[in-house]
Amino acid sequence: MSRIGVFVCHCGENISRTVDVERVAAEVGTMPGVAFATDYKYMCSDPGQGLLKKAIQEQKLSHIVVAACSPRMHEKTFRKAAESAGLNPFLCEIANIREHCSWVHENREEATAKAVEIVGMMVERVKKNRVLPTITVPVTKRSLVIGGGIAGIQAALDIADAGHDVVLVEREPSIGGHMAQLSETFPTLDCSQCIMTPKMVDVVNHPKIKLYTYAEVEHVEGYIGNFQITIRKKARSVDEDKCTGCGLCMEKCPVRKIPNQFDCNLGLRPAIYVPFPQAVPNTPVIDREHCIKFKTGKCGLCQKICGPGAVDYEQEDTLIIEPVGAIVVATGFDLYSITEKPKGSSIKGYGEFGHGKIPDVIDGMTFERLASASGPTGGKILRPSDGQEPKQIVFIQCVGSRAREKGISYCSKICCMYTAKHTMLYKHKVHDGQAYVFFMDARVPGKSYDEFWRRAIEDEEAVYIRGMVSRLYQKGNKIVVMGSDISVGVQVEIEADMVVLATAVQPRTGADSLAQKLGISYDHYHFYSEAHAKLRPVECATAGIYLAGTCQGPKDIPDTVSQASAAAAKVMTLFAKDKLEREPIVAKVKEAGCVACFYCKKVCPYGAVEEKEIRDRQGNLIKVVAYVNPGVCGGCGTCQATCPSKSVELDGYTDEQIVAMIEAL
Amino acid sequence: MSTLKYSYYPGCSLHASAGEYDLSTRELFKELDIALVEVPDWFCCGATPAHNVDELLSLSLCAKNLELAEQVEGDLAVACAACFSRLKFTQHTLGENETKRTQVEKALDAKVRLDGNVKHLLDILARDLGLDKLAGVVKTPLKGLKVACYYGCLLTRPPGVPNLDCVEAPTIMEDLLAAVGAETVSWTHRLECCGANFTLSRPGVVLQLTNAILESAKAAGADCIMVACPLCHGNLDIRQQEIEGVYKADYKLPVFYITQLVGMACGLTPERLGLEALIVDPKTLLKEKGLL
Repeated sequence: MSRIGVFVCHCGENISRTVDVERVAAEVGTMPGVAFATDYKYMCSDPGQGLLKKAIQEQKLSHIVVAACSPRMHEKTFRKAAESAGLNPFLCEIANIREHCSWVHENREEATAKAVEIVGMMVERVKKNRVLPTITVPVTKRSLVIGGGIAGIQAALDIADAGHDVVLVEREPSIGGHMAQLSETFPTLDCSQCIMTPKMVDVVNHPKIKLYTYAEVEHVEGYIGNFQITIRKKARSVDEDKCTGCGLCMEKCPVRKIPNQFDCNLGLRPAIYVPFPQAVPNTPVIDREHCIKFKTGKCGLCQKICGPGAVDYEQEDTLIIEPVGAIVVATGFDLYSITEKPKGSSIKGYGEFGHGKIPDVIDGMTFERLASASGPTGGKILRPSDGQEPKQIVFIQCVGSRAREKGISYCSKICCMYTAKHTMLYKHKVHDGQAYVFFMDARVPGKSYDEFWRRAIEDEEAVYIRGMVSRLYQKGNKIVVMGSDISVGVQVEIEADMVVLATAVQPRTGADSLAQKLGISYDHYHFYSEAHAKLRPVECATAGIYLAGTCQGPKDIPDTVSQASAAAAKVMTLFAKDKLEREPIVAKVKEAGCVACFYCKKVCPYGAVEEKEIRDRQGNLIKVVAYVNPGVCGGCGTCQATCPSKSVELDGYTDEQIVAMIEAL
Repeated sequence: MSTLKYSYYPGCSLHASAGEYDLSTRELFKELDIALVEVPDWFCCGATPAHNVDELLSLSLCAKNLELAEQVEGDLAVACAACFSRLKFTQHTLGENETKRTQVEKALDAKVRLDGNVKHLLDILARDLGLDKLAGVVKTPLKGLKVACYYGCLLTRPPGVPNLDCVEAPTIMEDLLAAVGAETVSWTHRLECCGANFTLSRPGVVLQLTNAILESAKAAGADCIMVACPLCHGNLDIRQQEIEGVYKADYKLPVFYITQLVGMACGLTPERLGLEALIVDPKTLLKEKGLL
């Protein structure tokens, strides 16, 4: 006979506001098999857990049902508490009366009745729970880091410094990401290259880091501790082992007029190129789309002059398989493009700002390249149209961000600070120039941030106008900026020489397809989702995968570096043990009933189902059956729903248990 | 034989100051074999004054007109940008706001139907009839005529309400004119406000705004302006001479209604299009371009 204990939580007022928790405890207490039922304000707190432990021992409870929040929240907490009181943790179940009941209902009477039913179902189910032993699996102590911007670099260095091998995969020919493009960084105005490039060199020199640039993750298999990653190393057309980085090929390449994406298309580059002089690795790549050799078969100059013979036109993409135990995703962001949006897109463009067709209306990153000493103008702020120094410059914040009617509601977080920085850099370079900023609010929380913003106004004399711009248009060689100053309620018109748009931070194009490969979730903008917004901010809901940087949401460099180090710490925690304990909620095959149709194998998203031969003592084959590898099984139950002979069941979710729950209704 | 049929809401202006818009609309639609039946007993949409004074009054006026329009078969064709805006606003507001809808229904003592289509003439010509079909019936392509298409502030705004075209970068007028062989200029003030009804209470403001519009059109090399709104027309056409005097400028930009230019391309005579009602005389320009 079961002696079930039921513990009903108030969750502060989250549950008790709508559900009469005392009545739930009283009604459930009379159900057959229930030996003890009580309620408490915060069941997850120390005294709450103490209540549960004490009751297990004093009341000699055999099973536990905690009626509280979602099992995603505190199932682990209560199972641990049960375990410490001597009960097998899998004899403890959660009845979700918060997300499934109190939060979604208003009528107290009906919500209470529903809560009683939810708990009653779990009482019937827990009666049929079995003692499950924990499964242990080995951990491959190597980590994959996807993305070689500041987030990926920081995570890779931290993990490698802890003594673990790291595989760093970067899509572009060089690591460095967006940070390598920046001129100076807020709030200290230290040069981005000066703090970034040494870290890039550390990566390539680190004995524990294996760097793949110009490469992408093609395929992901496996599970926490045991992933198999297929990496596509794109054909660089230059042998990385032979190339010495002398740069002669780039000097001699006859194709010279390709816009350099690294310089936001302001500068030009040859067809064989490194994106920027401080690139890591300093190995060029051939842009096959523009190379004469690839287009016409002629030329071949770079190969002829290459001393070490590193240029290889025959090179092909290669696929490499790397086993790893953990994955850090640090794929970064794209900047909202001010060009015209495709028809039907949920993101509307800025026709009123000329759709990017006015040459001296640029975005913030282009301004960074103009201000950068390594940029196309050598750090001089010059207009792209005619190379003149702009004497009146207008910065417009929140372009794309916080514009619901344009398709994006969120704040991009970094623009207030980088625009303040831009006004300073401008004033430092154009002493007689005047900067204006149109802004909605100044969102500058952060250490030394508000001081920095005040400095832009008070010391560097930027004129901040609270209001938005309705239209930009070219008039002669000026750009007319029509806006409003809502603090005094007047319309403002400025004839500017140049306009800089602080465009929104958006997830990378293709972020969704990488997420699907990895099996991680993302929000409707395609930012990757953390497991818990507050308490698990760097972990994905998928075990063994961690997030760093702007792929999870807009953030600045300090926040990105912090998150990257946090993700690295999580990886190290995982690698601290030789074996990993896994939840034993896995599928088991009843071999007697299995008819070897292997539908389960076809539907299993984890590739956990294998074919097993059953032989007699003489070694004669009796039958072939399905076998679920408990180390690989993700516990989704798809096989159970598919099996035509009902021969495979998920522990903890057997048909018998589900039927018992239904019958309890 | 065209199967296109519409109920027609001319609005007050088209029965008064913008008689030539009404005339050219009826004549063009006749020519294109599109049936227009005037909504029986329609009345003022309330325009700007009603919704400035009493929102419920404004919504009720339009809701009543929508109800009257149900008596005639077909979508509701609207010529005036302001009537179009108010009717669309009413559908939008009552569709979103249950309380206001209940109030209006009480005022009208009838259920409000919001599923009828309200269409601006531009929409009918460019999409229902279609640009290809229109191009097919052109008799005198408006070759060499450089037109500044003026949308004004109401035709596409606010986002999510009229849904006529892209809010900030519409092309429907330019597309329409391309189909009838005219050239359109790229200019900066096609979506700016002309000052609208402030022409009576604050003429100084209107002169400043309309001057900027005319200046921009002239600078872009336009020969003339095309509008889809009687009030814009009044401000740009009737006041043009005054603007030239105040700002010491020389524009001489005839201001046509969409139906007048399209009608001209379809071979309608100046009499059928009411061209003589225009204040800035278009004859010199049209003769110069061989269109008269």
